[in-house]
Amino acid sequence: MVDTSSTLTAIAMMAGIVYLTRLSGYFVGLQLRHIRGIQPVLEALPGCAFMAILVPAVRQGSASEIVAMICVILIMWRSSNVVIATGVGMAVLLFGAPWLDALL
Amino acid sequence: MSTSKSALHGIRTSADYFISTFLFGVMFGITAAAAGLENWQAMLMSATSFTASGQFAALEFWAAPLPLGTIALSVALVSSRNLLLGMAMTHHFDGHSLGRRIVWLALLNDPGVVNSFRMDAEVDRLGYVTGYGLSMMTSWLLSTYIGLRVAHVFSSFELGAIDFAGPLVIATMMMLFFKGSKSKPTPWIVSGAVALLLFEAGAANYLILLGSVASGMIVALLQARRSESQFRDRTDG
Repeated sequence: MVDTSSTLTAIAMMAGIVYLTRLSGYFVGLQLRHIRGIQPVLEALPGCAFMAILVPAVRQGSASEIVAMICVILIMWRSSNVVIATGVGMAVLLFGAPWLDALL
Repeated sequence: MSTSKSALHGIRTSADYFISTFLFGVMFGITAAAAGLENWQAMLMSATSFTASGQFAALEFWAAPLPLGTIALSVALVSSRNLLLGMAMTHHFDGHSLGRRIVWLALLNDPGVVNSFRMDAEVDRLGYVTGYGLSMMTSWLLSTYIGLRVAHVFSSFELGAIDFAGPLVIATMMMLFFKGSKSKPTPWIVSGAVALLLFEAGAANYLILLGSVASGMIVALLQARRSESQFRDRTDG
């Protein structure tokens, strides 16, 4: 059992770290904004970060996870409906995993 | 559009991610209860940190004595994409006081930033992202509470299959980026390819992130310089 003071310390530390990451990126960007042609570079950054998370996750994913990802991409491509895409992906993970992972 | 109207617009357009955030919040509540956090502690963590991936990362190490250094490093690593979100908004939060920017950046959130790029130029981006963040925060707190309340029902369920839900939600945001982008997606494709190469080479997660983002930045910079020179050639010609 973790004691209350350690818990509060950890929570305060987490809040500080997360807030600093939110704040510092913006202020680093302000220092870079005078560089010619930097705006499209900065605006491409979140997409690059998403790809850095997605690609390894898919590469080491199980069959059901890869099928879920394909479903999400196809639904988003056709409709841009986040709720349906996420719902179908989750349904594949929850209900398709037992037989998809055994099958492939 | 005024800041307050833009914030309301952010709230109104956040329904999709309100629901997916809700799902994660319920899962967080269940996991937090299983890890031994009291309800008020889990709620305090959600209210002050407001980061799904960071909070889940912290819970992985939640055992006495708390390894504060490991938790700090782990939360910093998974939250490092916030740096990039903030940098992406550099040119979009002008016209607000420094104090307001410092306070409102606490609500910076991935789907808010992604969707703000799809809005018309007249929408105030800081207001929009903050409105979106308020909606996400409401969803996160409500769902954490519900997750904590229903945790006993799910204590015997195997929720491991849902671990992949995070990448699925990120994929939805990536697709919104792809579809809404006015420039070519080459930087993201190169980022993905470099991430794959580094992963196959056995690189650590933070190196994959660094290498992938750096390569994407270089490609984006080259792309920007080339389109600039093409534009100059056309106007000179």
